Amino acid sequence: MRSKNLSPRTTVAIFLLPSLLGFLVFVAAPIAMAAGMSFTNFSGGPKFRFVGLRNYAAAFGSPQFAASLGVTALFTVWTVALQLVLGLAFALLLDAKFIGRDFLRGLVFLPNVLSSVAVGLAFCLVLDPKRGPVNQFIAHLGLRPPNWLAGEDSALGTLVMVGVWQSFGYYMVLFLAGLQTINPSLYEAASIDGARAVRRFLSVTLPGLSPIAFYSLTIAIIRAFQVFDQVYVMTGGQAGGGPAGSTTVLVFDIYRNGFGAYRFGYAAAESVLLLAVVLLVTLAQDRAQRKWVSYDLA
Amino acid sequence: MISHRPPPTPLRILRALLFLAVAAAILGPIVVIASTAFKPDGEIYDFPMRLVPKHPTLDNFAKLADRFPLYTLNSIKLTAIIVLTQLVTATTGAYAFSKLKWRRRETVFTLYLVSIMIPVQAIIIPQFLIVRNLGLYDSHWALVLTGSFTAFGTFLVKQFFQTIPDSFLEAARIDGAGEGVIFARVMLPLAKPALATQVIFSFRYFWNDFFSPLIYLTSPRLKTLPLGMADFATETYSYVGPQMAAAFISIIPVMLIFLAAQRYFVEGVAASGIKG
Repeated sequence: MRSKNLSPRTTVAIFLLPSLLGFLVFVAAPIAMAAGMSFTNFSGGPKFRFVGLRNYAAAFGSPQFAASLGVTALFTVWTVALQLVLGLAFALLLDAKFIGRDFLRGLVFLPNVLSSVAVGLAFCLVLDPKRGPVNQFIAHLGLRPPNWLAGEDSALGTLVMVGVWQSFGYYMVLFLAGLQTINPSLYEAASIDGARAVRRFLSVTLPGLSPIAFYSLTIAIIRAFQVFDQVYVMTGGQAGGGPAGSTTVLVFDIYRNGFGAYRFGYAAAESVLLLAVVLLVTLAQDRAQRKWVSYDLA
Repeated sequence: MISHRPPPTPLRILRALLFLAVAAAILGPIVVIASTAFKPDGEIYDFPMRLVPKHPTLDNFAKLADRFPLYTLNSIKLTAIIVLTQLVTATTGAYAFSKLKWRRRETVFTLYLVSIMIPVQAIIIPQFLIVRNLGLYDSHWALVLTGSFTAFGTFLVKQFFQTIPDSFLEAARIDGAGEGVIFARVMLPLAKPALATQVIFSFRYFWNDFFSPLIYLTSPRLKTLPLGMADFATETYSYVGPQMAAAFISIIPVMLIFLAAQRYFVEGVAASGIKG
């Protein structure tokens, strides 16, 4: 029953199936299953039953869940803010033409391609509270060095620092790409109108960057929400989660409940809440973009 | 080239100092990995830290000799297979979404796009159960199959395919070429830059991937470099020298490829932002 301008079905099937199968089995089905499982007390065995909203009630009543949300929020706010500010600052600094510019761009992006496990182990050495080079230096100056990853108050901040170190170059590249989309004649027009550098930045650069800024913000938030490797590697492995649980982010809590305690139903409920956050952030970006972003400058 | 050098102003000097500080901050941990990997135990925590070891040694690498050759081999094998699989799924998918016409094409593509935003950690519990029920737990198949789909790669290649005019395809069809021939002989050769970007992107991801191997592999003989490295660090907390040797092995290939193909890394990131 295909109309004249549709491609033959078998052709479509042959080209579509390799990706569609992976998508359906390992992405779409898990999303649907997460929702279903979250209403059960499934723990991996054959016997389980429907428990209604009990997992969600348990999550919202659990101090551990609340704490993990708090840790995640704190980590996200700091990481996102620092990554975007530094990313934008370095995009602006490295947009100008000068000798060594391309080398610096490459250097700032470099940490992005490295294994987070390798990077985590390196920072463990560098920030070792007693013998690490940083604290030896601070002590040498006669100051009291922080405990970094070993301190209840400083562990999360240290993870933020490592996360920013590794990723702000990614946002620099995004902002640099954004800067290239701004029509140069707008700067000329602004200059002719007598606009100074600050004014040009506020009324040409920033609006021109707004689409990329919203995209970066969304990506940065979602990535910060999924931080796991650093928590695992730098703050105590499978049983870890930082001194006094200070780095137990939501994803780590899901991992521990699911793969440590086999509370799959409960961990699925936590996953659904994580999915809801991701969806909300994406939708909010979409809405905000429609309202705030100027596309007409490009 | 006779270039006119602007005179150094205070602002320029300040900027140069800032760049110097940033370069040091970024290179610092990388240099620590590279130099500690070749240091004997006694030198690791010397203050001030030496960049070049006083008595360079390969002892740290020797301590990795029992397991890490296998981890490295597993990483090379798995990364190669997944990168190739993704290349197949991304290009065929991209062709279906850009050059074939079928009902609900846009709807399905939107679903693909939405899935770019979904972190694997949010679906790992049910995905793990599916993999276990397929009998693939603790096998390399688990990683190959869960890694086979790439929404981002499909998107990236599709964007490129769309820039290839349909008239090219029509000409080939009139000459009697089937879709398979058009795909392999017309589209793929033209899309080389996009394919390079896709390959580089998935290489970087899977070479470094820690989370999925952690979930899906338990047998030591199957483990990959990042997972093996994390295990090793947990077991031998104070073996800092060998840990850095392992880190060195893990970052060297990706750094070399980055040096050689930086353009593709950067283009991939930029493409996701501008068109996304």
